[in-house]
Amino acid sequence: MFVARSIAADHKDLIHDVSYDFHGRRMATCSSDQSVKVWDKSDNGEWNCTASWKTHSGSVWRVTWAHPEFGQVLASCSFDRTAAVWEEIVGESNDKQRGLSHWIKRTTLVDSRTSVTDVKFAPKHMGLMLTTCSADGVMRVYEAPDVMNLSQWSLQQEISSKLSCSCISWSPSSSRAHAPMIAVGSDDSNTAYSGKVHIYEYIENTRKYAKAENLMTVTDPVHDIAFAPNLGRSFHVLAIATKDVRIFKLIPLRKESAVGSSGPTKLQVQILAQFDNHNSQVWRVSWNISSTLLASSGDDGCVRLWKANYMDNWKCTAILRGDGSPVAGSSSQAAVPSTAGGPQHVLLQASSAGSGLMLLNGKGTPSPYRPTSQKHL
Amino acid sequence: MEKMSRVTTALGSSTISGRTMFCHLDAPANAISVCRDATQVVVAGRNIFKIYGLEEEQFVEKLNLRVGRKPSLNFSCADVMWHQMEENLLATAATNGAVVTWNLGKPSRNKQDQLFTEHKRTVNKVCFHPTEVYMLLSGSQDGYMKCFDLRKKESVSTFSGQSESVRDVQFSMKDYFTFAASFENGNVQLWDIRRPDRYERMFTAHTGPVFCCDWHPDDRGWLATGGRDKMVKVWDMTTNRAKEIYCVQTIASVARVKWRPERKWHLATCSMMVDHNIYVWDIRRPFIPFATFEEHKDVTTGIVWRHQHDPYFLLSGSKDSTLYQHMFKDASRPVDRANPEGLCFGLFGDLAFAAKESLISGDANRKPYPGGDRRYPIFFFKKPDLTEQFAHVSSALSVFESSLESKRMDWFVKTARLYLLSGKPFAELCDHNAKVAKELNRPQVSTTWTMLRIMFSDPANLSTPGPNHIGKLGTLPLMNSFSMKEMGMGTESRLDRSKGESRQDNIHLELGNSLINSNNDENEETEGSEGQAEYMFGDAELDDDDLYSMDMFFSLVFSAEEQEYTLPQEAFPLRHEIMDNPLAPEHLQQDKADSPQASGNEAEVMCLTPIESFSLISISQPLFSPHLPAPFFCPVVREMLSHYAEQGDVQMAVSVLIVLGDRIRKEIDDLTQEHWYMSYIDLLQRFELWNVSNEVIKLSTCSAITCLNQTSTTLHVNCSNCKRPMSNRGWICDRCHQCASVCAVCHHVVKGLFVWCQGCSHGGHLEHVKNWLKSSSHCPAGCGHLCEYT
Repeated sequence: MFVARSIAADHKDLIHDVSYDFHGRRMATCSSDQSVKVWDKSDNGEWNCTASWKTHSGSVWRVTWAHPEFGQVLASCSFDRTAAVWEEIVGESNDKQRGLSHWIKRTTLVDSRTSVTDVKFAPKHMGLMLTTCSADGVMRVYEAPDVMNLSQWSLQQEISSKLSCSCISWSPSSSRAHAPMIAVGSDDSNTAYSGKVHIYEYIENTRKYAKAENLMTVTDPVHDIAFAPNLGRSFHVLAIATKDVRIFKLIPLRKESAVGSSGPTKLQVQILAQFDNHNSQVWRVSWNISSTLLASSGDDGCVRLWKANYMDNWKCTAILRGDGSPVAGSSSQAAVPSTAGGPQHVLLQASSAGSGLMLLNGKGTPSPYRPTSQKHL
Repeated sequence: MEKMSRVTTALGSSTISGRTMFCHLDAPANAISVCRDATQVVVAGRNIFKIYGLEEEQFVEKLNLRVGRKPSLNFSCADVMWHQMEENLLATAATNGAVVTWNLGKPSRNKQDQLFTEHKRTVNKVCFHPTEVYMLLSGSQDGYMKCFDLRKKESVSTFSGQSESVRDVQFSMKDYFTFAASFENGNVQLWDIRRPDRYERMFTAHTGPVFCCDWHPDDRGWLATGGRDKMVKVWDMTTNRAKEIYCVQTIASVARVKWRPERKWHLATCSMMVDHNIYVWDIRRPFIPFATFEEHKDVTTGIVWRHQHDPYFLLSGSKDSTLYQHMFKDASRPVDRANPEGLCFGLFGDLAFAAKESLISGDANRKPYPGGDRRYPIFFFKKPDLTEQFAHVSSALSVFESSLESKRMDWFVKTARLYLLSGKPFAELCDHNAKVAKELNRPQVSTTWTMLRIMFSDPANLSTPGPNHIGKLGTLPLMNSFSMKEMGMGTESRLDRSKGESRQDNIHLELGNSLINSNNDENEETEGSEGQAEYMFGDAELDDDDLYSMDMFFSLVFSAEEQEYTLPQEAFPLRHEIMDNPLAPEHLQQDKADSPQASGNEAEVMCLTPIESFSLISISQPLFSPHLPAPFFCPVVREMLSHYAEQGDVQMAVSVLIVLGDRIRKEIDDLTQEHWYMSYIDLLQRFELWNVSNEVIKLSTCSAITCLNQTSTTLHVNCSNCKRPMSNRGWICDRCHQCASVCAVCHHVVKGLFVWCQGCSHGGHLEHVKNWLKSSSHCPAGCGHLCEYT
């Protein structure tokens, strides 16, 4: 049911992020090779690289699009401790003929003292804002007071937490009943510091973000976090990629007095689903536009699609290989690992993170297979 | 702590063991150097010159070489080097231009041996010859390099780079006579020690100063250089022209570079500003550090591998006045935290996925990845070389395009385009929208529309339903689900008693949920929620008793909901009354057969014989339409809209909201309405459905939404008669006192669409102008302009 279209990305190192634009016709990729590439979808559905340029002097962790109302604008963040905002320049006739576009750097945000691990633009209705988080645990909120001037960004707020941050997500809700909300995930590997996901909410009175919630049940390193598109819901849905996929429902509890917005809204947190079908670290989660499907990808090299029925029962509806080939038994239901059915041994090359090999037994539980005299490098 | 676990490495005769440890120095360090047997380290700085012993658990201060009450500037060291052959011999480069040698074998407290004051400015670097005991080389800010024979009182030769200040000098490890020098202007020179008149070779290595260089310990002719341009370059010097073979981009200017022992591709770097970390790079993968040491709090000034054949121990000194021994296994590996995958859902349900190739191709069950990745054979019993794994990485990027229409968002776009939201009577809008939904294979939505029509239409309208109304529009599921909904709200015990096989959980389903139940399985996907099609009447033939109890439910429900309302008792006999109507059953049967939905749903067909189902409908019509006022349904509809919204179908919520208009508006608070509108408009704009979005904005009643159309839009209107700007808001020009928007053809005021020629600003009704232009290309107003319309 999915057709894979392989794209020769031609990045010289790992690709860390892909991102679609607002209309789904452009795509940006970023890589450790310090470059960002922009891909445009042609009429016949092919993706053509229309721009590729060096953006940073370190690995580029994330790339993200601004709402097109602000122009064709990208933000990137990097190991080199900066985040940058880029704008596409129209014109340059000879470039156009070659099908290339030109991107220029509008600003560099240099406040971080460590690797900037994520950058995200705020939902459009909040204006031109973006937030970054960094490996030393600082979340920063920037605003461009003049949307026509992309080179001027003012640092609105800095929030430090002790844990190194890895990912950040804005709540997309445009409802005036919902205060702006940011969720930050930490990839700190010490499970003793519980609560790897912090949720901050904008307090009207102080004009600052304040901590609204800490998801105490998430104790393992979090690699990705994503609010589902809100689409008129009264609650928020948050997907988290940690050692498994988790879906949380955050229900704002109405405050007694509408005036007393001095503190953050109380949130009722429900866990809707928790899946360890990847059998490994989950690196990415992404929602479809109607927020009916969640895609997750893990160290097993598979993409899994999750879907809820009307009872909010989530289950796996598809498993996709990197090349789009369906995995045997992918139509099988939730909680049943795809490798079930016979003690077949699936050999997985371990990621560079782990060492040695990993053997998957038929039950789908990984058993570390370590060579005897292992040397640390 | 695990981090502090001990490592012991056997190196031939000697053994090195230790752990990650540090000690505080009295002052910032500028440079460090180890003695040959890796047991002691010397730390030199502006205010420090000490020797520490490297013991298993700690650093132990062995000797302070800064002696005397008032130390001279000769002690202010920019660099220090311990001789690798002669264990008692040290050399320092002083900031005042002196080159000093020290003999630890001296019995006196002052170990100073020789003092050369030939340089005029700071000496940046001293370097002993790797094999020759008495040969010392220095490089200075004054642009000269000098070679000293320690048996003589002064330098034996002076090399003039004729560039700028010398930042580093390094004897080649393999070529006895060769040394390299790096300069502040970006040049690197190669000299023969025997020929002080002229360099052998010179090339520009960096833009800006080259702060450091290091010969590869094994590979003859590999020279690594680091510069302020944040780059480390590896040069192959064996060819005629120095060739850049690798380039590593770091994030700050490179102050020191040191090849890692026993690892051909690795080198360590530290920076002189901003960045306090020490990085170890695999030059084949120049973008991500292989390992990082993050202990220092200030700039790292000196790095040295503890032993020339041991790759696991690294020593470093820093401006933060600490001396560290780093264990390689305690290093942090940035790659481990680097995300190997990227994933993003596109607007049309396509999924972009980028992943490390080894992750995708790691499955042995699969054929090799189409890229033909033979670089990584999978070893079953052999330990894979981790450094090799590190070096060769790439990602595969692919886009998964959904082949299922339902997964794409086509239904959304089509629905948005085809729905009618205004401009027709309410019932027609509902019917139209129901038809649209049905054609898009969304029976639940279709049913909802039909139901809305029934609920809110005038009774007069309903009493004469067109032949295509009831049968075609899937009334059956409507009635079933509706009744089920009502039953759910009624007493559960009653339901249980009469329908023992119906499950308890059905009762809790909300209206929308129960509607899902009536969908056939193929439609599940479309609805955005997978209903387990638990069809309530699926396995029960309805007989009269059941029907009776059903009706009882209706009455029960209504009495429960609205106490003052009681169902008329004559609900029953009506069945026969309508049976008399010969037309309706026929239609019902026919349409049911035609309808793919009905035929697709076997359960439905089986469970409800035409007559029975008809009886249900026939009951329902007199039940609801004549007696129930529309507001009665408002709570139900409100709940339904909320349900659609919570399920993510904000399109339905907004469309119903608009079509129902005042019938429902006051039931839903403004904030929620505004939220729905905003969300729907945002979606429409994503799909570039500008016209629909505009229509929705126009039809909305929220002030916050309607004003969306008015922001950042300015209209400048000129009068078509006098061609001067219209100042007032009306359509009468206050200068020539004529109506500005008169059709040039029929001379009536134009309301709605007005076309005009940009050249002469005359125009009128679209149709009139069109007709006019067929006969003449001149302006209908008679101004003589050759009008152009595009």
